[in-house]
Amino acid sequence: MAGISAPLIKRRAQDKIAYVNQSLASLNYYHGSVTGQQFLSHVKQLASMLPDHAYAINLCANRYLFMVSLCAVIVRKQTNLLPPNINTATQAALQARYTDSYIIYDGFASIIDMPQFNVSHVTFDPDDESFDIPMVALDHLAVISFTSGSTGDSKPSYKTWHTLTASTEINRKYMVPNESDTFYQLATVPGQHMWGLETSILLALLANVCVVDSKPLFPQDIQDVLSALPSPRMLVSTPVHLRALIAGSLDYACVDAVLCATSPLSKDLAQQVETRFSAKLREVYGCSEIGSMAVRCTAHQDEWTRFEGIFFTVQADQKVMASAEYIADAVELQDHVVMINESQFNLVGRLTDMVNIAGKRGSLHEVNQVLQTFPGLLDGIVFFPPQERSVPRLVALVVLSEGIDKQKLTGHFRRYLDSAFVPRPIIIVAALPREENGKLPQKKLLAFYQGLSKSK
Amino acid sequence: MTTQTDAEREMAQLIVDALNFEDMAAGDIVPDEQLFGEGLGLDSIDALEIALAISQKYSVQMRAEDDNTREAFTSLKTLCEFVESHK
Repeated sequence: MAGISAPLIKRRAQDKIAYVNQSLASLNYYHGSVTGQQFLSHVKQLASMLPDHAYAINLCANRYLFMVSLCAVIVRKQTNLLPPNINTATQAALQARYTDSYIIYDGFASIIDMPQFNVSHVTFDPDDESFDIPMVALDHLAVISFTSGSTGDSKPSYKTWHTLTASTEINRKYMVPNESDTFYQLATVPGQHMWGLETSILLALLANVCVVDSKPLFPQDIQDVLSALPSPRMLVSTPVHLRALIAGSLDYACVDAVLCATSPLSKDLAQQVETRFSAKLREVYGCSEIGSMAVRCTAHQDEWTRFEGIFFTVQADQKVMASAEYIADAVELQDHVVMINESQFNLVGRLTDMVNIAGKRGSLHEVNQVLQTFPGLLDGIVFFPPQERSVPRLVALVVLSEGIDKQKLTGHFRRYLDSAFVPRPIIIVAALPREENGKLPQKKLLAFYQGLSKSK
Repeated sequence: MTTQTDAEREMAQLIVDALNFEDMAAGDIVPDEQLFGEGLGLDSIDALEIALAISQKYSVQMRAEDDNTREAFTSLKTLCEFVESHK
């Protein structure tokens, strides 16, 4: 029936959907392309083995096994929970919130006491000849993703199959250079993150992309994988990873399209990426609630172009609400948006206490609350000063009780925070430069901190 | 405190500089202590920074797909040994 369901994949039987580069026992150590038909066969086999629960916390690290398990969970009419990190505390928080859940993983079992399913122990039978694409109800809650967030209590974003398919239909027009070639895509971001899900998983399921299963980090690894891939190639990354790729002296195989998102990219780095990869780079602007919303060719322009199908409404208080047909509620953007015309805009800074560290978005307020719960704390603040280093981090200035050392505080932060938000440095001071009324103005704090750094 | 060899001292300085540890001196890094997770608490962003600094200083390229590299990032000591053997 049209209108109430949509196919799980929009690929033909012989289309190349994934490229396996890692040695997977489940695939009998096969290396190379996987077709749409083989993929569906793997999905169906896995779906028949999954335990009966409403939610699957999907921790699979290999991108191919992640993609198969994500789809198998959907075919079983279950919901994928995509955690923002692999912290045990995050898994425990998810389990407490979604009681009828299990963990699906491909590496080490979780130490949390709950049902678990190891995909890497499954051996897939050689593919069957059939090619029946499962239909998925449009209102099926396929995925709940979580804003990266600084603490375990990250905010859920609900993605029905309609949301995922309709947004991908828009994304493909702006992200994939044409509809006729198969683009071999290497992504440096995990499939669990919204940016990685949209590009490396959904474009492979629903557009002409063949995605590599590995998730290389170091430049040498990325060089190796890119040169192993057929052309045309596509690289999906973040400013942090691109910077590392450019800083080395390595030469890379020609890449036809580079997509970058998660935190602002400089024009200078964008130009270097275009030169080094002989590629056209597109930077994408989005938020986890909606996904990708706008694009720009950062090497050549400052202004963003809003995707057709995404709507911005400027409110009386200058805040901008973003909406799309495929999401239920409009979302207030955390950035200061200045509209140039109906479809173009500039981004000029953040509005709130949200900070972006290496592509992860978190709240300074939350991090400070974690600091305040530390038993040995007399006074302290975590803030985000402007800094020279390539990946800026939070800074903590603290006054501790006698006999309490910094290691204890570091341990406390690590227990409750994503590693990106653990302050570094933590500086012990005798007192904070508070005013008589107890206030700690940002300017005074910065001057105090800069004085500390200089005197070192 | 465990004493660092000259090579470990140099590598510790590289880590402290690369990661801009304002609150830590090179001598504070214990050669056998874990760099990631517990111990020093580094993450993948730090791994990239360290790999980059190593490639610039020693012309040694790190590969994570390579099991040797994964082991190399265990501690200051193993990182030094890896770089020494690949120089």
